[in-house]
Amino acid sequence: MKIDRRSFLSLGVGVAAGTALSPLPWKLTDDLSIWTQNWPWTPVPEIGESSFVNSVCTLCPGGCGISVRKVEDRGIKIEGMKGHPVNQGGICALGLSGLQLLYGPTRIKTPLKRVGKRGDGQWAKISWDEAISEITEKLDGLRISGNSHTVAGIAGSRHGTVSQLFSRFLMAFGSPNFFHTPSIADTYQLALQYMNGVSAAPGFDLENADFILSFGCGLLEGWGAPVRMFKANTGWKKNRARVIQIESRLSCTAAKSDRWIAIIPGTEAALALGVAHVLIKEMLYNKDFVDNYAQGFESFVTDNGEIKKGFKQTVLEEYSPETVARVTGIDPSAIILLAREFANAKAPLALCGKGQGKVPGSLSEAMSVHALNALVGSVNRKGGVFPMPAMEVQGWAEVGMDTIASAGMNQPRIDGAPPNSPGCINQLPSAILSGKGYPLNVLFVLESNPLYTMADSKTVKDAFDKIPFVVSLSSFMDETAQYADIVMPNHIYLERLEDAPTPMGYNKSIISLSKPVFKPRLNTKHAGDTLILLAKGLGGGVAEAFPWKNFEACFEQAMGDKMKTLKKNGFWVDSDAVLPDWESTFKTASGKFQFAPAEFSPGVAPVKIEGDSTFQLLLIPYETMRLSCGYIANPPFLTKTVEDTILKQNDCFIEINPKTAQSNQLTEGDVVVLQTPRGQARVRVHLEEGIMPGMVALPRGLGHTAHGGGYIANKGINANRLIGPVQDPVSGMDAAWGIRAKLSKA
Amino acid sequence: MKQEHGGVVTQKYGMVVDLDLCTGCGSCMVACMAENNVPFREDETDKLKSITWMRVYKLTNGKHYPETDICYLPRPCQHCEGSHGHSPCVSVCPATATDYDNQTGIVSQIYTRCFGCRYCMGACPYHARYFNWYDPIWPEGMERYLNPNVSPRMRGVVEKCSFCFHRYQAAKDKAHLDGQKEIDEDAYQTACTQACPAGAITFGDLDNPNHAVHELKKQPDAFRLLERLGTNTKVYYVSSREWVRRAGDNYLKSEGLKKAVL
Amino acid sequence: MSEIDDKTQAVSKKAVSSTHGQRREDGGSGGVIILFFIVGLVASLVVGWVLFPKLLYSQKKQPIDFNHTLHNTLVGNGCESCHSFREDGSYSGVPKLAQCIECHEEVQSSNPEEIRFVEQYVKKGIEVPWLVYARQPDCVFFSHAAHVKSAKMDCATCHGPIGESESMKPYQQNRITGYSRDIWGENIGGFKKNTWDRMKMDDCSECHQKKKVVIGSVQTQKEGCFVCHK
Repeated sequence: MKIDRRSFLSLGVGVAAGTALSPLPWKLTDDLSIWTQNWPWTPVPEIGESSFVNSVCTLCPGGCGISVRKVEDRGIKIEGMKGHPVNQGGICALGLSGLQLLYGPTRIKTPLKRVGKRGDGQWAKISWDEAISEITEKLDGLRISGNSHTVAGIAGSRHGTVSQLFSRFLMAFGSPNFFHTPSIADTYQLALQYMNGVSAAPGFDLENADFILSFGCGLLEGWGAPVRMFKANTGWKKNRARVIQIESRLSCTAAKSDRWIAIIPGTEAALALGVAHVLIKEMLYNKDFVDNYAQGFESFVTDNGEIKKGFKQTVLEEYSPETVARVTGIDPSAIILLAREFANAKAPLALCGKGQGKVPGSLSEAMSVHALNALVGSVNRKGGVFPMPAMEVQGWAEVGMDTIASAGMNQPRIDGAPPNSPGCINQLPSAILSGKGYPLNVLFVLESNPLYTMADSKTVKDAFDKIPFVVSLSSFMDETAQYADIVMPNHIYLERLEDAPTPMGYNKSIISLSKPVFKPRLNTKHAGDTLILLAKGLGGGVAEAFPWKNFEACFEQAMGDKMKTLKKNGFWVDSDAVLPDWESTFKTASGKFQFAPAEFSPGVAPVKIEGDSTFQLLLIPYETMRLSCGYIANPPFLTKTVEDTILKQNDCFIEINPKTAQSNQLTEGDVVVLQTPRGQARVRVHLEEGIMPGMVALPRGLGHTAHGGGYIANKGINANRLIGPVQDPVSGMDAAWGIRAKLSKA
Repeated sequence: MKQEHGGVVTQKYGMVVDLDLCTGCGSCMVACMAENNVPFREDETDKLKSITWMRVYKLTNGKHYPETDICYLPRPCQHCEGSHGHSPCVSVCPATATDYDNQTGIVSQIYTRCFGCRYCMGACPYHARYFNWYDPIWPEGMERYLNPNVSPRMRGVVEKCSFCFHRYQAAKDKAHLDGQKEIDEDAYQTACTQACPAGAITFGDLDNPNHAVHELKKQPDAFRLLERLGTNTKVYYVSSREWVRRAGDNYLKSEGLKKAVL
Repeated sequence: MSEIDDKTQAVSKKAVSSTHGQRREDGGSGGVIILFFIVGLVASLVVGWVLFPKLLYSQKKQPIDFNHTLHNTLVGNGCESCHSFREDGSYSGVPKLAQCIECHEEVQSSNPEEIRFVEQYVKKGIEVPWLVYARQPDCVFFSHAAHVKSAKMDCATCHGPIGESESMKPYQQNRITGYSRDIWGENIGGFKKNTWDRMKMDDCSECHQKKKVVIGSVQTQKEGCFVCHK
């Protein structure tokens, strides 16, 4: 028998036939096609038990109730909490992206100590014990040498248990230098103090107002409690309330308003008084209120024979529509019409605070607008503005200051502001750099990013260079944390037990409970616990002021009998609050509303921004819901919503009116150098009809140099680099609404 | 008008978006991304490649300052019905990856069948379909937040708004457990509808007289996008401004507005 | 000329001899060919039907050898006692440790498997890494509520008589795709004797076609794709 090629061929054919008749090739093909689709780098999220945990979002001061959907122990989606008074189930784009912050690459995972130069990003991982002991050692040394006042702290807000614990720490330690991130609420507080006699945050009964006169407020860009504002806006549309937006740029608010009145920026106070002029001249104001419950309206003669001009006389003399028209660029007839509409509305309400109200702004502007509300009787009444009762923590024992602490607290504040005042953080850099007064030795930064958010970034950085020891409690490697010497990372908001205080402008006192929705999975520590450990480490009088075992115990004590309601509902609302009236709630010396307090003389010149006539254009920053410009930087989802006329690859655009662009020989997309007295930057041109000629607008929230991970860093320009602070002549706080600028082709 | 299809009552899920209320805040865009495991990249400024199932467009009346006016328009997938379920994208798909369902009116996209020819993207007049040019990357453990009810995609497939039909699946699950045949209006709402802080989006069964959208779509100011193409979409827009209604289709200057076909 | 003659003769001789040989080879080689063919056929059939499945599927043991029959006698509601529906309509699938701990906080018997379970999992609080026979790919959405509650189907119809087993059958995982043998089918050729032998889309379709569940799809004239896919 010869085994030859044919045999092998037949063997092959047999094998082929057999293989074809067996499942091998078919199954193998099917399996391989499945295998080619099973890419191991495409994640397959595991199904599991779904649950919802209620908490509050504190990514901005808005304080929206949230409902976090979890599957097993993973966070899957953040939704608005139904039934929460502030947001009623709604939520903004930043709140929705919160899980990207929780699980994102910018989280600081453990306490860090700087090795190498500041800002280089070279860190050594240290333990909590090492961090606490190194800091307490330094602080102790300062106490002993009588320099406890050279320690300062910057907190995100003044309100809330953790911020108050922070200020308590500084007090027990012996330093008056507590700072917070400034805002329009600070200026409103002063306006209410001088005119209502109550130092408080403003509450606006927007839902019951039917005519909103907004002096540049970003009602739909994030002013106040953003989601509450959206809901209010929907209510206004449904109830046919009218919104008049006064601003130099066609923001979303202006576009959705019933009338957009373009104004030369910085002249809002003049406009308010121009409207007041018409109200007074045409006797359209609320006579009952003005005659019986207000003072300072009429002029009077003092015992010495001196004539004291009242509000009425000043306004009638100096703020005629024609004069105001020249200053503001608004037609006199438009001013008169506006005043008449304002007065004829059932519940008119005037608001101020440009954009999101990130800058405290001009006090005289705030007082002029407040006076306008008073003229129509919209102060301390339904649909109006009234002071919100103070919500300081009641449950803690008073701080027993030891001798060092008392001595320290008696020192003047480094920014020169009066003691126990909110302070003027805008003056901090110059105070440090001037060398006059005492130097700052230690700076704590909590829930805040001053190196990014403060005006004139370069000067702020120079000031930081003179502070030998900076401690950041940030959860993220932001600009300030990057520049710190020790970082003690806080839990992120979804991991924290905390309270969220009443958001700015909300007209009911509310505390919302932030629950630890997730167990902290990194080596972070609640800032409250960090403060307690620092205090205990210092011993003596400081430790005595911090008797609690941990922050949870401290928090329970702070919340007191509100805790039960907080745990049950997720929030506590002051249902006993009585709507203020005109008889008893003005706490001025006269017991009446003050139209012309000593601190305010209508006729104060508008805030003059920096720059001479060589800078032919006006640069204004603007805020948008799509760019988070405070302590929190954009998560990737939010950056996806940013239009390509704001950001293109890593270039950001300035808005400029086509007419102005043409006269500067610029076209859409041109690369230019934007120069201001404070700095310069490379930007691109976007032609926008919705902005006054002669102006350029730059968005806030871009130009991060930290927050690594590739999703937000190094995109665009930080507006704060180009704009410098301008001190308000009365409040001392930052009132800069922009800066002069010029463009040149790059 | 309710339809019967083989003896079973059908639904026609659709949306009414009130452009007078929409503030352009972008919550709907992000809610959709978070709900549906939409990928993100370092540079999202190339809007041809940026995947946003729900996209908010900025319309302008084209007038000069100070008569300029803008309007924001959120555009999900329009779930075109065409005539008898012949959506433009469904009609061209060679892989049966996209399908029109007469039971609910939803145009579905099944990623495992799609092989990425992008014919559907060419067919869609609303640019509602997006292609995964790149493999999605979830850095450093961020894949923990992925919704297990929605399949994450690999590169090479097309994706689009699904009217959150995974929520329909979940609502049906509950209905089956409770022994109910139909699901309530608030048992099935899309993520964008739920998130909109202004309440501008309403979602429901267009055919069901008990659902809000049934009446809302009949408003005289309601219009659909590119109606004259005959796509028979399920997303109605309402605007009191005529220039916005005119922007909904390519009208010649001389043409008047075409009334919405209901 | 004689050369040519010679050559022709040689050729014809060769031809004769080769045909001879061929005939002989035909007679003999034909058999070899058929033999080789049969050998090849049988060998490949054996490889395809017997060896291939053995190689393709890895045999894995469940971490704990669970006795369903025993537990079935102890609970009141059959399968649903441990494999339950959640309030939102979703199905809990394989029970979590918390369910087991309700009875097994301490060792209940002298069974070595149970002892191992309590020591290695309950006491340490570690979830048992069960190997799920019915695990479907990520693109599949299956509603247990629709099938168990509305269609009133029996668990065994799809899952087989697991409830009557005293020990867990080995988890046979397809080395290439990673899925269990229960999905493609017990039989390597995809033939099924019982309804629970296969769990692929066609198997679901079979039943859906018969029961004439809602026809909605425009493309396929069957049910809408997204009813079962996500």
